Amino acid sequence: MEILRCEGVRKVYGAGDNQVAALDKVDLSIGKGEFVAITGASGSGKSTLLHILGCVDKPTAGRVMIDGTDISTLNATRAAIFRRRKVGLVYQFYNLIPTLTIGKNILMPLLLDKKKPNQEYFQQVVGALGIADKLECLPNQLSGGQQQRAAIARSLLYRPALLLADEPTGNLDRKNAREIVDMLKLSNRNFNQTIVLITHDEKVALEADRIVTIEDGRIVGDGLSGEKFHGKKYADENHFDEKRR
Amino acid sequence: MWKNYSVDYIKNNRASGISIIAASFIAGLFLSFLCCLFYNFWLDNIEGIKLEDGDWHGRITGEIDADKLAKVNYYANVEKTVVREDLSGDGETVVDVYFYDKRTAYQDMSALVKILELPREAADYNYQLLSLYFIRIPGDGQPRLLMPMYFLILIMMCFSLILVIHNAFGVSMNSRMHQFGIFASIGATPGQIRKCLVQEAFFLALGPILLGILAGAACSFGTVLGMGAFAEELAGGRRMAFQCHPAILILVFLLSAFTILISALIPAGRLSHMTPLEAIRGTGERELRKRNKRLMLRKRPGLSRGHEIGCFPSVAAFGGLSGSLFGIEGELAWKGLKAQRKALRTTSLSLTIAFLGYMVMQCFWTLSGISTNHTYFEAYQDAWDVMATVKDTPLEDFSLMEEIRGICGAENTVFYQKAEAVCALPKKAQSVELQALGGLGTFLEDVAQEGEDFFLIKAPVVILDDDSFREFCGQTGIAPQLNGTIVLNRLWDSQNSNFRYPRYIPYVENMETVTLYPAAGNGNIPSERITEIPVLACTQMYPALREEYEKSEYPLVQFMPLSLWKEIGGKIGGVEDNLYIRILAQERGELAPLQSLENELTQTISPAYEMESENRLQEKIDNDKMIEGYEMILGAFCGLLAVIGVAHVFSHTLGFLGQRKREFARLMSVGLTPEGIRKIFRIEAMTVAGRPMLRALLLTIIVMAVMIRASYLDPVEFIVAAPVWQILGFVLTVFGFVALAYYLGGKKILKMNLAQALRDDTMM
Repeated sequence: MEILRCEGVRKVYGAGDNQVAALDKVDLSIGKGEFVAITGASGSGKSTLLHILGCVDKPTAGRVMIDGTDISTLNATRAAIFRRRKVGLVYQFYNLIPTLTIGKNILMPLLLDKKKPNQEYFQQVVGALGIADKLECLPNQLSGGQQQRAAIARSLLYRPALLLADEPTGNLDRKNAREIVDMLKLSNRNFNQTIVLITHDEKVALEADRIVTIEDGRIVGDGLSGEKFHGKKYADENHFDEKRR
Repeated sequence: MWKNYSVDYIKNNRASGISIIAASFIAGLFLSFLCCLFYNFWLDNIEGIKLEDGDWHGRITGEIDADKLAKVNYYANVEKTVVREDLSGDGETVVDVYFYDKRTAYQDMSALVKILELPREAADYNYQLLSLYFIRIPGDGQPRLLMPMYFLILIMMCFSLILVIHNAFGVSMNSRMHQFGIFASIGATPGQIRKCLVQEAFFLALGPILLGILAGAACSFGTVLGMGAFAEELAGGRRMAFQCHPAILILVFLLSAFTILISALIPAGRLSHMTPLEAIRGTGERELRKRNKRLMLRKRPGLSRGHEIGCFPSVAAFGGLSGSLFGIEGELAWKGLKAQRKALRTTSLSLTIAFLGYMVMQCFWTLSGISTNHTYFEAYQDAWDVMATVKDTPLEDFSLMEEIRGICGAENTVFYQKAEAVCALPKKAQSVELQALGGLGTFLEDVAQEGEDFFLIKAPVVILDDDSFREFCGQTGIAPQLNGTIVLNRLWDSQNSNFRYPRYIPYVENMETVTLYPAAGNGNIPSERITEIPVLACTQMYPALREEYEKSEYPLVQFMPLSLWKEIGGKIGGVEDNLYIRILAQERGELAPLQSLENELTQTISPAYEMESENRLQEKIDNDKMIEGYEMILGAFCGLLAVIGVAHVFSHTLGFLGQRKREFARLMSVGLTPEGIRKIFRIEAMTVAGRPMLRALLLTIIVMAVMIRASYLDPVEFIVAAPVWQILGFVLTVFGFVALAYYLGGKKILKMNLAQALRDDTMM
C-alpha cells in the first residue's frame, strides 16, 4: 500500500539570476512499512526533499501525496495539523523544547490536539527507547543520545503515517548512533512504521530496506539495500517507472 | 499550550517574565501619571480662564430688549444667557451666552446676531476658553502654541511608552522564535501559537499595568498637591484641585492592553509567514532582503539554500561609504545593522522620539522665554515700579494725589484713568507715509467705518492728572497747557513689519483738532455728544505707563489732562471704573524699598478706597518662581523622556547583541580579532544612537523654524539663546548609555565559546 507519492516535485530558491533549483522533477513512491534511506552529498537536495515531505516547506511545483492527502495544497493551519497527526519529524539536533520535561516534550503533539495519550502505548514506546526513567528530566539534563531517543518517541507517539529523520545520528558518537538506528529499525518492525531516513553515512543507509540517492536535486538511484547499484543502469531500465506501474 | 508550555516557561524563565512585568508596570505608571497630570493641567487652565475672563462662550453687545433676549434664550443650542449689568450702559446691553454644544459657538453666534439684526461686530467670543475646548473660531489669528505643544509632547511620550511595552515583548518573543519553530514543526497551528502568546502576554502584563495605572494616578495626585501648594504661595496664585476622570484611566488601560495584544500578535504573525524550518533556524529575519551581488561570493550550482555563503562579503567589493571610512569593520557593522533593521526599528523610533521630545521641548522653552521677554518684561515691566488700582473711583474724585506724591521714596507718580472714545479722522489728515501705504483703509479693512472724507476710528483716551500732563507736555517739547489733547502719532506698519519687531510710521499730520464721539452707540449720535478739542501735539512719545498701545484695530490714542476731561467727559462717557497710580521709585533695583513704598501707598489709600497694589520686583520674583516651577515640570518631562529612551536602548541593545552571537562567532572564526569586534561595536553604537539623533535634530530644526516663523521672532535671537549645552548633555548621555549597553553585551560576546556558538542554529 502506497503511503507517499511525489510527482514532479521541484523546489527553487532565489529569484532571477540567483535562482537555484534545489529539487528538480523528483518522483518517488514509498509503501507502508518501508524503511527508506535517502542519501546524497552535502547540498544535493535531500534535506529539502525531507522538509517538503515533512510539510515544513512547500514545493515550487509538483504534487506530494501522503496517506491520500495532497500536502502541497494545504494552508498553514491544515499543514500544521497534518504534521501533528501524520508526520513525525526527527532532526539532527533533537529540537526539544528546553523548558519542558522530556515527558511533556514527547506528549506535546497529543497535547496540542487536546488528546489523552494511550498510556500503554506511551509506556511501550518510552520503554523500547530506554527513556522511561527520564520523563521528568529537562532536555539539558540528558545526553545527546537520550535526547534523540526522546525526539524519536515524540515523533512515534501519534503513530504517524510517516516518520522522517534528518541525519538523526549526525550529532552522536558511534555507539549512540548505532542504538538510534536500532531504535528506528525496531519501530519499523514492531509498529510497522514507515520511515524515511536522510543520511550521508553509507553504513547507516545500509541499515534501511531501500536506498534512494539524490544528486543535484534529482534522484539518480533507487534500489534495495545491499544491491549493486548503478545510476546509469537505473536510468536505462527506467526502473522507477516500472515500479510505479 | 498554556497549561503544558506557557506555565512552565514563565516559571522557568523568571528573568524574561520580570522584564515584561517591569516594563508593563513602568509604562502603565508613566502613562497614567502623564495623562492624569496633563488632564489636571488642562482643567486648571480652563479654571484659570474662567476666573480671569469668565465662563461665557459668546457675548453679544448691542441694543437688546426683553424680546430680543427671549429670542436668544429660545435658540436651540443656547443653554442660558446672563445680562452683564456691570458692562452694559449707554443704551447697549451686554449679554453673555452659554451654549449646550460649544463646538458650534461660532456658527450659532453668527446666527444669533443675524436674528437680533445686529452688526457682526456685536458678537464676541471667549477665545481662550473655546480654544481650550479645542474650538478654533475662524478668524482667531492668535497663535496657540502651548496646548498643541503639550499635546504633541504627551502623544510622543505615550507612543514612546507603548514602544517600551512592545519592545519588552519583542525581545522575549524573538528569543523564543526557535521554540515556536519546534512547536510548528510538531504540529502547532498558527492559531494555537497566537493564542499561547496572547495568553502569556496578558497573564504577565495585565496585573502590572493595572497596578501601574493606579500608582501613576497616585503619583499625579501627589504632584498636583505639591504644585498646588507651590502655586498658592505665589501672588495671585491658587491651589490646583486634583481630578481624575475614570475615562482617562480606562483609556490608558485600553491603550496598554491594545499594545500588549499587538505586541503578542506581531511575532505570531511573523511566525505564520515563516516555514517551521526558518523559525527553528531563526534565519527569517537575519538575511538581507536585497542581496548585493557584488558583495556575495558566487554560489555554486547545486548548493542547497542552507549552504549559501551569502553572509560574507567579498573583500574586493567593500566599497561602501562605511567601508571606506572605517574599513572592513565599518562594512561589517553596516551589513549587520542592515540585516537587523526590523529588530532595530523600535529602538530607532523610541530614540528618535526621546531626542525629538527633549530637543523640541528645550527649544520651545527657550523660544517661549524670548517671547515673554519681548512682550512683557522688555516692553512694559520697566515702565513702572509700584502700581495701584483704585476701584470704582473717577480720577476727578480721587483726593489723595498730594499725599501720594509726598510718599518717601517715590520719584515720579502718575494718576490716570482710561476711557473709550471714537474719533473722526479726516482722510486728508493721514500722514504721507500712511497714504503711501494705501491709506488707513488698507489697514482697517472691514473694521473701519469709512465715510466719504473721514474714517471713524477708535480713539482710546488716557486721562492724566494735570501735573503729569504738564510734565508730558514738557517731554514732547510743547509749553505745558491743559486745554487740548496730545495724540500718539504712530501707527504700526503691519504691511512691512510684524508685531514682534514693529515699524512705526506717523499716523496723522497737520491735525489741529480732533472730533471725539462716544464709543458706545452705533450710528445716530446726537450732536451735543460730539466734541471737538484742540490737538496740542502729535508725537511718537508716550508717558511711561504700564499700558500696551494696541497693535490691532489701529487706534488713535489720546493723552488728555484731567481738567479737560472734566469738561468733556460727560459728553463722551466710556470711562473705566478704576483709576491707576503708577509710581517710579528712587531706588529701583532693590525689593525692600519697593515693598516699603507699596506698603506706604496701601496705608495711604486703603482706609478711604478699595484698592489693589503690586510692585515690579515682587512680580518679577513671582514670575521667576513660576518659570522655575514650569522648568521643574518640563525638566522632569525631559528627564522622563530621556530615561524612557535610554532604558529602551539599553534593554534592546543587550537583547539585540545576545541574539547575534552566531554572527560574531562566524566573523571571529575567519580571523576577526577581538579588537576588530570592538571596532564593529563602536561603529554600531555610533550608528544606533547617531541616526536617530540626526533625524531628530533635522526635525527639531524644521519644527523650530516653523515656530520661529509663527512667532515672528528673529532667528538670530533664538540661535544666540539656543539650549545647545542642555541638548549636547542629553545627546552625550544617550550615546554613553548606548555605548555602555554595547560594552556589556560585547563583553559577553567576546567571552563566548566559539566552537559552541558555531554549531548549527538548530542547537539554540
